[in-house]
Amino acid sequence: MPGADKEADLTERIEAFLADLKRGGCGTGPIRGSGETARETTALLRKVTAQARWSSAGDLMEIIRKEGRRMTAAQPSETTVGNMVLRVLKIIREEYARSRGSSEETDQQESLHKLLTSGGLSEENFRQHFVHLKANVIEAINELLTELDGTTDNIAMQALEHIHSNEVIMTVGRSRTVEAFLKDAARKRKFHVIVAECAPFCQGHEMATNLSKASIETTVIADAAIFAVMSRVNKVIIGTQTVLANGGLRAVNGTHTVALAARHHSTPLIVCAPMFKLSPQFPNEEDTFHKFVSPHEVLPFTEGEILSKVNVHCPVFDYVPPELITLFISNIGGNAPSYIYRLMSELYHPEDHDL
Amino acid sequence: PHPSTGGGGIAPLTEQEEEEQPLQAVLVADSFNRRFFPISKDQPRALLPLGNVAMIDYTLEFLTSTGVQETFVFCCWMSNKIKDHLLKSKWCRPTSPNVVHIITSDLYRSLGDVLRDVDAKNLVRNDFILVYGDVVSNIDVSQALQEHRHRRKVDKNISVMTMVFKESSPGHKSRCEEDDVIVAMDSKSKRVLHYQKTQGLKKLQFPMNIFQHGSDEFEIRHDLLDCHISICSPQVAELFTDNFDYQTRNDFVRGILVNEEILGNQIHLYVTQDGYGARVSNLQMYDSVSSDMVRRWVYPLTPEANFTDQQGQGCTHSRHNVYRGAEVSLGHGSQMEENVLIGRDTSIGANCHISNSVIGNNCTIGDNVVLDRAHMWNNVHISSNVEIHQSVVCDGAVVKEAVHLNKQCVLAYNVVIGPNLSLPDGTVVSMHHPEEEEEDDDDEFLSDDQEVGHSKDKTRQKAFNPAEVGPEGKGYIWKASMNDTEDEELAQCLWGLVLNPDPESDSESEASEESQDRSRSVSPEIDDVNAFQLEVLGTLQRGLEENIVCDNLVLEINSLKYAYNITLKEVMQILTRVVLEYPFQQQGTQLTTLQYTGSLLPLLKTWSPVFKNYIKRAQDHLDCLSAVEELFLEQDTHQTAMVKVLMKMYQLEILEEEAILKWFSTGATNDKSRQLRKNQGKQRMSLQRKESEEDESSEEGE
Repeated sequence: MPGADKEADLTERIEAFLADLKRGGCGTGPIRGSGETARETTALLRKVTAQARWSSAGDLMEIIRKEGRRMTAAQPSETTVGNMVLRVLKIIREEYARSRGSSEETDQQESLHKLLTSGGLSEENFRQHFVHLKANVIEAINELLTELDGTTDNIAMQALEHIHSNEVIMTVGRSRTVEAFLKDAARKRKFHVIVAECAPFCQGHEMATNLSKASIETTVIADAAIFAVMSRVNKVIIGTQTVLANGGLRAVNGTHTVALAARHHSTPLIVCAPMFKLSPQFPNEEDTFHKFVSPHEVLPFTEGEILSKVNVHCPVFDYVPPELITLFISNIGGNAPSYIYRLMSELYHPEDHDL
Repeated sequence: PHPSTGGGGIAPLTEQEEEEQPLQAVLVADSFNRRFFPISKDQPRALLPLGNVAMIDYTLEFLTSTGVQETFVFCCWMSNKIKDHLLKSKWCRPTSPNVVHIITSDLYRSLGDVLRDVDAKNLVRNDFILVYGDVVSNIDVSQALQEHRHRRKVDKNISVMTMVFKESSPGHKSRCEEDDVIVAMDSKSKRVLHYQKTQGLKKLQFPMNIFQHGSDEFEIRHDLLDCHISICSPQVAELFTDNFDYQTRNDFVRGILVNEEILGNQIHLYVTQDGYGARVSNLQMYDSVSSDMVRRWVYPLTPEANFTDQQGQGCTHSRHNVYRGAEVSLGHGSQMEENVLIGRDTSIGANCHISNSVIGNNCTIGDNVVLDRAHMWNNVHISSNVEIHQSVVCDGAVVKEAVHLNKQCVLAYNVVIGPNLSLPDGTVVSMHHPEEEEEDDDDEFLSDDQEVGHSKDKTRQKAFNPAEVGPEGKGYIWKASMNDTEDEELAQCLWGLVLNPDPESDSESEASEESQDRSRSVSPEIDDVNAFQLEVLGTLQRGLEENIVCDNLVLEINSLKYAYNITLKEVMQILTRVVLEYPFQQQGTQLTTLQYTGSLLPLLKTWSPVFKNYIKRAQDHLDCLSAVEELFLEQDTHQTAMVKVLMKMYQLEILEEEAILKWFSTGATNDKSRQLRKNQGKQRMSLQRKESEEDESSEEGE
């Protein structure tokens, strides 16, 4: 029976993806960029939409939610996965609403009246069957995939508006988005990049190598020198792992140091972050917020006796509060941290925030 | 088109084929020893929980994440339990990327048996990974695998095994003292030249010959931790079949190294700095691997990752490496200081101090309890005012009020202890009476297959000793049974060598090991030659006494040749020497020349087939002659006998005429030998004449 075959194939794909997520991120963070993770998640969700058995939007949302919960549980620190699940849920809602003839746009406008009568379009209203719903949803997910493909380019295109000639730019660690951003600017302008190496993983070294290959004048500094060098810097441009709902960041270790130094010297701090990194999560001391990896990079396992006497921790992320950030550059343009909540409500449906 | 491009075109194709073959692994889910007794009496070692997950799951996860697609799990002791566990686990789901085959047999007694079975059943088609079911690792072996494959392609199947080692300096707590090894290796090719377990030896000796050939860079390393992960070629299984005395990997490695020149097989090493890999071979290792796991050294195999994908097993990770499962309740004033893992549905009372501990599912812990480095498994009940330090408390155990467990105590399954009792260091309490063990010993080999049911009734009859386990206690103090001492591995206790380092036995083993080494390693050329000479003498003697056919003598000498690593030339010289000295050996050195020749000539006749077997080429003849010469130079009183000996040898067609003449005309290296030749000269001329006459006459006769 081909249907069963298809389903088995689907579960296999999902399992493989889950296992990949669980094993992913040995030490130096994800092996793949989060952009790739986002694309893979979306492609997988498209497959789920196409192959799973559902008759109404409600069923489909339930399936997507279930798989989404498993995916996010597999690697809680990889928020991109959860974000993409929310985006797909939102797409389903919109397509359903369009099929019914009512526009989702009207629902967007929040008013006190709306808040009081919320839950208007709740689950039981998704039971209606539409023939074209499946095709429409898949079409919309394809659009999302195209959008994801273009994000880095869209961000890089804005580089010339922010980087001027003979500026000194500081960045920290390695971010693919920032790398593309700087390289794009280097086509027209000459400037100097200082890269903080970002111990213990030292992705900064790789970043510096890549930049210098693109004939950008690059200097690598130790993390300890960040504050000392900051007085010479015109602009700090960093990447991030996640943009939190309050406009703060969850970024690689060392970013907070850079942000504080920049604030002290009143240097503008620009964050290059594609929209898919925007997460409805708020910063908290909750357990999944942090990610601790093997302490090997901090104190090698080969050290011997000392290891039984000390505790070694190797956190991967820093939290950077929103007040230290000057500007977000996303694929849809520049935004202040205070505007993040608005983007959030455009991208995700409030009912979906908790999977 | 160059011819090389054609070859290049073929090579990648075969490579591709190789890579398309699924990577296989052999997982041995049995330790073949009783180190974990009495715990492993109730549960096989592979299923013991480490961080609330069965150890075999770590091994399978490790294999799967390295890309193994087919795993053969071999079980022996309590194979049903392992089978049940695996069938329930995620590994046997249809979507599992790693297909697990379970093979059970009660007949496995060692790793050797398992690999012989692998060979007999023809299970492996290509290089495979060999691990035990108690290996915890996150090492990425793909690099090692690549190197292994590359080596196999470059020099045609010479390398049979690549062992994975992790760099860690001596004194590291995760180094198992029993597995400490000294490895000598070629730095460039990573070939293992010498491999020896140190086992507390103060002095180590290396055979010189390992440094004589090969490259000019060597490393002798002691900073290696044996991960017990090996990448084997299919030949390994065959070699185990061929050598039925190989029991362990250690036997195998030593065997390969000793026979390297004969069989031409080599073993290589892969040393990694990243990743974690260790085998839980005793409770000491259990303790350190468990704490390493909680301290996230094995990332991404961390407790909160729930890699076994079981419902409800998930837990959360917070600061100071505190992990909490679902539905954990913590009383007022209780502290989880650091490195604590608590399973689901466990409740902890008030004012407890817990640090560096792992607590299983469904445990209840009373008030004012202090736990440090405690390993508590599932369904354990701990009453109030209990203190536990560095101990293991197994499933279902009950610890009553005010009990004090000192270091390295073990409470096996369902034991009840207390109240008001303090157990001294290293106490092991089990529901199994130690004597029942001894009864079973007769029909049991190393481990692992007796049914305990029948002895249960007997156990009941023996009363529990309240002095040992407390007034309400249930259980017996377990002592490692003493009749195992002949097997040194068994004599070691549950916690490994650290506890009770028995100085006597240590020094003893040291001495024996040393003497062994001395005989084996001190300038092997001289030693081996002497030993070989003695053996040849013995063989010939026996041959004479028991009338053994010469062919069999040749066989025996050949095997001796391999055993002592003797070249063919040396064999011949020694043989000649032994035969010529034989009369002296038998009848003393005071023989007259006449008596000597009288007894020697018949011997030469009897053994002529042996000589003929070894003396074939012209050079052999000369070598033989020079041996004869050497001997008669030493025995100068009997020089006159030499002619007769040569004559006889010529008549028996051992030596050819041309060779004798050639020897005579050349090669007088010093005065003495010149003298010898001179003396022989005249006789020789007559000899030659006689010879030629004989030849002629025989020709005429024909």
